[in-house]
Amino acid sequence: MANEGPDFGRDIRPILAENCYHCHGPDEQAREAKLRLDTFEGATTGGASGPAIVPGKPEESELIARIFSSDGDEHMPPPSSKRVLSPEQKALLSEWIVAGAKYGKHWAWQKPQRPGVPSVRDSSLVRNPVDAFLLRRLEREGLSYSSEADPALLLRRLFLDLIGLPPTVEEIRAFEDTWANPEEREKYYDQIINRLLSSPRFGERWARPWLDLARYADSNGFQADQLRPSWSYRDWVIRALNANMPFDQFTIEQIAGDLLPDASLDQKVATGFHRTVTCNVEAGVSPEGNRVDQVIDRVNTTATVWLGITLECAQCHDHKYDPFSMEDYYSFFDFFNHTPLEVQLPSNKTDVSHDFIGPYLDLPLTAGQQRQAEDLENRIALLQKSRDDTLKSQEENYLAWERRHSKSVGQHTGWTVLQVTGFSSTGGEKHGILEDGSVLLSGNVPNTATYTVETRSTLSRISQFKLEALATPMLPGNGPGRGDARNPNFVLKEFTVVLRDGKNVTPIRLHRPKATFSQKNWDVAGLIDGRPSTGWAINPQFGKSHWATFELVNPIERKKETTLVFTLPQDWGKGRVIGNLRLSARAEVSNESRLPADLIAILKNPTGERNKAQQKKLRAYFEKESSALKEIDAEIARLKKQRSNIKANQTLVMVEMQKRRTTHILNRGEFLSPGQRVQARTPSILTLSDKSNAATGPANRLALAQWLVNRDNPLTARVAINRWWAELFGNGIVATLEDFGTQSTPPSHPDLLDWLAVEFMDSGWNMKKLLKVMVSSQAYRQSSGVPAGLLEKDPRNILLGRAPRFRLNAERIRDNALAVSGLLSAKMFGEPVMPYQPPGLWRQTGRNEPKWLEETDEDRWRRGIYIVYRRAAPYPSMVNFDAPDRAACSVARARTNTPNQALTLLNDPAFVEMALALADRILLESSSPGTRVQYGFRLAVSRVPDSREQSIIHRLLHERLDHFKAHPKEAENLLSNPHFVYQPQSQNHRELAAWFYVASALLNLDEVITKN
Amino acid sequence: MISRHLQTETRRLFLQKTGYGMGTAALSSLVNADSGGANGSSLQQSGLHHAAKAKRVIYIHLVGSPSHLDLFDYKPELQKRTGQLCPDEFFDTSKLAFIREQPSLLGTPREDQFAFRKCGASGMELSNLLPHLQGVADELCLIKTLHTDQFNHAPSQMFLLTGFERFGRPSMGSWVSYGLGSENQNLPGFVVLITGQVLGAGNSAFGSGFLPTVHQGIEFRSQGDPVLYLSNPQGVSPGERKMVVDAVNDLNKVALADVGDPEIATRISQYEMAYRMQTSVPELMNIADEPQSIHEMYGTQPGKTSFANNCLLARRLVERGVRFVQLFDQGWDHHGSVFNSLPGKTKQVDKPIAALIRDLRERGLLDETLVIWSAEFGRTPMAQGAVGNGSGKSKAGRDHHKDAYSVWMAGGGCKAGHVHGATDELGYAIARDPVHVHDFNATILHQLGIDHERLTFRYQGRQFRLTDVHGGVVKDLLA
Repeated sequence: MANEGPDFGRDIRPILAENCYHCHGPDEQAREAKLRLDTFEGATTGGASGPAIVPGKPEESELIARIFSSDGDEHMPPPSSKRVLSPEQKALLSEWIVAGAKYGKHWAWQKPQRPGVPSVRDSSLVRNPVDAFLLRRLEREGLSYSSEADPALLLRRLFLDLIGLPPTVEEIRAFEDTWANPEEREKYYDQIINRLLSSPRFGERWARPWLDLARYADSNGFQADQLRPSWSYRDWVIRALNANMPFDQFTIEQIAGDLLPDASLDQKVATGFHRTVTCNVEAGVSPEGNRVDQVIDRVNTTATVWLGITLECAQCHDHKYDPFSMEDYYSFFDFFNHTPLEVQLPSNKTDVSHDFIGPYLDLPLTAGQQRQAEDLENRIALLQKSRDDTLKSQEENYLAWERRHSKSVGQHTGWTVLQVTGFSSTGGEKHGILEDGSVLLSGNVPNTATYTVETRSTLSRISQFKLEALATPMLPGNGPGRGDARNPNFVLKEFTVVLRDGKNVTPIRLHRPKATFSQKNWDVAGLIDGRPSTGWAINPQFGKSHWATFELVNPIERKKETTLVFTLPQDWGKGRVIGNLRLSARAEVSNESRLPADLIAILKNPTGERNKAQQKKLRAYFEKESSALKEIDAEIARLKKQRSNIKANQTLVMVEMQKRRTTHILNRGEFLSPGQRVQARTPSILTLSDKSNAATGPANRLALAQWLVNRDNPLTARVAINRWWAELFGNGIVATLEDFGTQSTPPSHPDLLDWLAVEFMDSGWNMKKLLKVMVSSQAYRQSSGVPAGLLEKDPRNILLGRAPRFRLNAERIRDNALAVSGLLSAKMFGEPVMPYQPPGLWRQTGRNEPKWLEETDEDRWRRGIYIVYRRAAPYPSMVNFDAPDRAACSVARARTNTPNQALTLLNDPAFVEMALALADRILLESSSPGTRVQYGFRLAVSRVPDSREQSIIHRLLHERLDHFKAHPKEAENLLSNPHFVYQPQSQNHRELAAWFYVASALLNLDEVITKN
Repeated sequence: MISRHLQTETRRLFLQKTGYGMGTAALSSLVNADSGGANGSSLQQSGLHHAAKAKRVIYIHLVGSPSHLDLFDYKPELQKRTGQLCPDEFFDTSKLAFIREQPSLLGTPREDQFAFRKCGASGMELSNLLPHLQGVADELCLIKTLHTDQFNHAPSQMFLLTGFERFGRPSMGSWVSYGLGSENQNLPGFVVLITGQVLGAGNSAFGSGFLPTVHQGIEFRSQGDPVLYLSNPQGVSPGERKMVVDAVNDLNKVALADVGDPEIATRISQYEMAYRMQTSVPELMNIADEPQSIHEMYGTQPGKTSFANNCLLARRLVERGVRFVQLFDQGWDHHGSVFNSLPGKTKQVDKPIAALIRDLRERGLLDETLVIWSAEFGRTPMAQGAVGNGSGKSKAGRDHHKDAYSVWMAGGGCKAGHVHGATDELGYAIARDPVHVHDFNATILHQLGIDHERLTFRYQGRQFRLTDVHGGVVKDLLA
């Protein structure tokens, strides 16, 4: 080691990058003194002060002189940079120059070669090459693997890792039984891995990290954060993972599925990957600015997900550390620069947000939808037939109806003006009776007045009254009110009428009020509601006559003359009183008033003279009104509506425009400052020797996708398998999952990384095969116990001298608890679901604001992957377990440990309901009280509790059983929690309540939310 | 080179000892551990970057952005020219969110209600719409020349509060919590109080970005549980909850003894803290125990959701050592009828904010508490909509304006009774002493004893910070 000198990649580049590249690195704009230190040529030919490095001769190297200089102006890094080199770092630089100042190309820019598999001392621990690489390193440190995990825990680990759900108690028992037999053991382990890899649950579990990368969500983000459908893309990912679609194809379809020849529907849906990007519809947004932001996101996300590079640093300036220029950045940008705008100015000018217009794809009806549609159509056809039958049987009724109405329209149905025999007003004004039978008020205008009108009628039957408030030039502003020429309104508060017969006074009950017009909040109905605060007024329809009619609940039948007294209170004030009024009555509420005018006109023609169209119209009206048909028609309409509600789903997709945009470098990353023109190409440092793909077609997204998964691309395979490794083992082989550039953490096991990457590509980019290699290793099968010595030596467990132990992520915590409680729904795919969440969390502003509609069927217990992802307010219990808001690509989730997590598991009504279901399940499935504690514990963590654990649980259980025995009402209170949708089957409520406490404690165990 | 994961490990072990937040000595442990980067030299540092003037922040964000021209930046010339078409250069649609035709100028109405008054010994001019704030003018450090890069709400909120206009960066409160931790182990270091709708940037305005999520702003709600899932289910008493917590922790202790993973020890202490929070948070939120004189001063009513209640809660939170309290109040986006809408909003906030300043002063907390009035941008001196006669009855409003606006700070070692900078006679552009959002943020961190260039977090191969690669402390604001 010493004679080789320090390693450039491991020892020197980090020092130079952190302290020097800022001014002497790849960024030409920022370069000082024309000196660059990131290349051998730059450092040895030198800048303004000559060569910075003379290989082999530190004493002649300006770099050494500068870093040891005590002169503030000479000293490097300059004091203003606040960067300081340690003595060790300075010594390393000297040693490196002594050894010849060898620069190496950064390992990640070179394509991986399959390394030889090393031999190790304890070859009995080697199940596959993964173990050989890991053990060699451990043995070098004087360490080895931990012992094998307890079979129950190993099985739980395997289940949680591969399908995200725990094994059932039966599966654990079978595994334990077989594990005891060494001959069967390996075959069985292999079978279980295969079974889990082909489970439909596999895709649901592995879609989660991919959807974090894809920043998949169900809403746009930003101000209004409306929902829009792209969940078909989420389903595509689950299906593709379940089908073990080769990763190269998986890549190509998502980046450029639409550009494949004869692209299938699924291949188009796959391009949803880049349509899940956020979209700002806020009114002041420039549609073009929004589009550029989206393309920037697509570029950065693609670079992070496939290449593990921080290309985004080159958006505003050349990259400070890695060899990516702005030209590289915008050339990459050009690949994505040819899709249409996704927002446009609002259709309604006054709207506060733009319209979201991005390309949608209509999907065919699903099989379920199709079945439903056919079923509805059949039912509609049946109803139509029964309608026709009914109609035939109705023919006679129709003819009778037609005759009756033809007759009635000919009848006299006119109004008879009631003769006024007496009038008085509390306002004391003058009045006169006019020739038309109306009363005209004159003289002073009182603020308020109540008119009492006594009339005489000679009609033998009265079924309806009419009050007219007449417009006339004799009133200010032509009336009908008296108070104000600009506002000749009236406000009549009530309309009452009594029948006077000698001393007998009978109030007449009125209903069905109608009027020419009613002012807002002053509806004519207020006249007969008995409430003095309501009434009838007509603002702003001044200057014309108005009428109101009222039907009598019991028509008056009289042989002799009738005296009717009307009372009209008008106490609103400001002279809002009627100036000229008339009262009329009629015998019959005309049928014609119920029929539309055009029908009356038809009916007035003699029966024989009605043409076909007219006859059809009459018949249609009859059918509509006929009660027998009404029911059938309502049912038909209901079914038709259901049918029309079965709509093809839509999803967001990428569509390439015919006319391509020209792409420019955007100075400072601003879309309004275009600079030099560029064309699509991949970053220069990553130019591949194999040009076959790029050469065959245009430089478009498809070419980019093919380049990403080209066998010669040094990054894609490494970056992908490194993330999967981290999913299983807790840390990446490259710890910085998101960055493989020169600033990344060097790989802990470079050979293992390359072996896996090459193996992955050689397997045909077979993800399941690679996962199988990982979980088949002895490394994976170790115990996760943390011996103190090992913790000290390797606190992060980088060497994997034990199996990893870490908290499950948000979705798995939910899914696991649902499975343990027995509530988990196995329903897959489809629209996002809304389980319980506390009220009031969705409070964004804007149009189309979505509402949280809590599911009350099995959708309430679906896996976390199906819960609606709204960026401004993601599902809160998952946020508490570090779920991101999916506004941007997220490579790794934090694993925090907070009191809010404790509160969630203890009190979130969703988890409380799971505790209830778990308690019920334990009571039902374990009939013998003696074994219940064991059974519940096994459900929760797969293993059997030891005596200490049993006694802790028994203590809680017995305290609770005693308590509820003494306080049975408290048990009822506990179980009547309004948030419960689950209906327990256990009849003994005291026992159930006591077990609820035990179940809740079990679901809160650290071990339950931990993979160990 | 210290890897991010080792830093995480260090923090994890640290957290385990100290609970929710971190003790006051956290900066030395954390800033060094996390920002040491390749050269590792900052590991030798200890304590804060420099002596702190402020220990905590109450940051009031008026969501939608109030019309600073009618509250803080009096423009007689603009009043004179009300109704005239604006100069051509003002009409730049690439910077205007809603105005689409050349607009007219709109001055503050010449009515007593809207008049400006010289206040206190400093003679600071403040609008009569803020009568109570006028009474504490001598405590304010008014910045008339803040400017930003964004003019749409959500991007601008993110730019102000996270230093970057797109999603994914930690918010200021998270940075402060990350740097300094909380002084109270039973409460989060960063608490958010909201009146009205959530702002457009959503949770990102107080999110932790790539920082550990313990540093994200936790919303304390005034309806329902103040902290989500704080209350026990129906039929579970505190004593019964304790039984479950004890059983869980007893079982976890067995696991800790067997497995040895320190994470289990952390889990045990978090369950204990969760249980304590079930008492301490409702106590904190229960303002009914305040004397009547306090309720009169703030205009608070226990049990209601109001901005006034949130101001009082902010005082109670900082009293208990919460590091960063952020109030968001929605409803200031007055594109129309600004003179009709503004008085209603100022009436809601004027009295409680002035009361907060007075109350902190009387308790001796103002010196070490930085109170901030801020918004995502300012508003145009041009009218949106018809000016009419320019009176208080005008239906006109004001559009978004990014080039100059007013905010203020109080306490926390800022100059009191001080006005910084000036805009031109029409209030459109800055005439002298501009303060960019990054400068403003650098200054806030500075008052907390943090060098904004050194509070960094390594992510994606580089050191990130609140001020991106910009910003400088505005020395003129410091006492």
